[in-house]
Amino acid sequence: MKTDDIQLMAYVDGELPPQERDEVEREIDVSPELAERVALLKASRLPYRQAFANQTLPPVPESLTKKIEELARAAQAGQPSPASANDAVLKHGVHLPPSAPIRSRLRNAPAWLAVAFVAGVVCGGAILRLAPGVAPGIGANGATLASATMGASPWVRAAANYQQLYTRDTVAQIEPDTDLSAKTVDQIRRTDGLALRIPDLRAAGLTFKGVQRLRFNNKPLVQIVYLPAQGDPVALCVMKDVKPDQTIAQQRVDKMDVVTWRQAELSYALIGAPGNVDLPALAKQISDSRVGSIFSEATLARKAFSG
Amino acid sequence: MTGADLSSMLPEMLPRLWAFALRISGDQHDAEDLVQRACVRALERAHQLRPDTAPLSWMFSIVHSTWINELRARSVRNRSSMDWDDDFLETVADPAARTPEEDVMNQQIVSAVQRLPEAQRVVMLLVAVEGLSYNEAAEALNVPIGTIMSRLSRARQAIGALFDGREDHKMKSRAKDKGSVS
Repeated sequence: MKTDDIQLMAYVDGELPPQERDEVEREIDVSPELAERVALLKASRLPYRQAFANQTLPPVPESLTKKIEELARAAQAGQPSPASANDAVLKHGVHLPPSAPIRSRLRNAPAWLAVAFVAGVVCGGAILRLAPGVAPGIGANGATLASATMGASPWVRAAANYQQLYTRDTVAQIEPDTDLSAKTVDQIRRTDGLALRIPDLRAAGLTFKGVQRLRFNNKPLVQIVYLPAQGDPVALCVMKDVKPDQTIAQQRVDKMDVVTWRQAELSYALIGAPGNVDLPALAKQISDSRVGSIFSEATLARKAFSG
Repeated sequence: MTGADLSSMLPEMLPRLWAFALRISGDQHDAEDLVQRACVRALERAHQLRPDTAPLSWMFSIVHSTWINELRARSVRNRSSMDWDDDFLETVADPAARTPEEDVMNQQIVSAVQRLPEAQRVVMLLVAVEGLSYNEAAEALNVPIGTIMSRLSRARQAIGALFDGREDHKMKSRAKDKGSVS
């Protein structure tokens, strides 16, 4: 019998039937080389599991736990496969080289985040819901801002939670795609029926990075992303909302500052991380139409008729 | 199995998938992206999961193949064990360990496994650490069971050389050559 490594391992682990074991032992007796391998294998019988159990690993990141829960919920709700949705978005979304490492691909792909977002909000009302009244950060400007004690509406909370996933790196490398954005704005106006303009916030130091059509509870939700000179991106999110106008109100959703208002049957939420941008002032400028718009109606009309 | 069936198991599997991804990639950011992508891929092809395959080994296999693809994409085909970044994988003194000797031993074991060549390391992680059977490991890595056993045998001989108390043996172990465990 020619004893091989696999047999030797089984021998050392006591997994050979008696007859085979005896044969192996006879071979070991006459072969120092086999005896050597057996000695090594014996020395390798170590408490691996215990050793690794004592290894201090970083905990599962909260962001990962959240994303997996969202994926799981989307799958359970019978959503179309999140990944194919992602691919579809990516085709006319962010163009990144396919060879980019996982890390950069995901970090820089808002389309991916959009999927996580959609997956989360479709069935995420329950998890995203804060207790009513738990809306700190109304702030010292409370006198000039409407009360926000009833808490943010579900879509605003969803959008704010989504925006938390954005880092400066997420959007810093994106070159705005004018054609794509114009097309998206056209779809927003014609398909989604939102009479929306994209505010030009350059005067306030914010660079337009892109506009996306997302969905919340099967209704269009528009997300316009800007990058300030410093700090994390700011998003202006908009949904149709057939209710009377509402003045601007500031609130805190989780770690994000949110300023909301309603105007001409559109609900707006301006969302950013605390600190870098004066969101209430910016909201005031937008709602007072004191800023220009990037994709003007004239541009869109030209495109619509020429196409 | 449907995506819905699988999805209900994912949150529970997550800690083990995370640990496995960390241990094969050696990088927290990679591990996070890896697990995420593996879960998306798994949900996409949940229907391919046969009833006789353990969902956990199947998930390990997807995490592993996703990582291999990633390494190829990065053209780091032969990631040598010298690249291993174990800044965050250090074992620390474990208050539950009964003796300091045991603690040192644990660290040496982890270190010895981490320094194995990639193919052997993954088999050791799956079989000796995660407790998969040879069969499950073979399924997870999509190689014949004989390959699993011979990789395991080579891995164990290399580790055995480090832990073998005798002075007179000569072992051509990579890990030994690196002198990483003293």
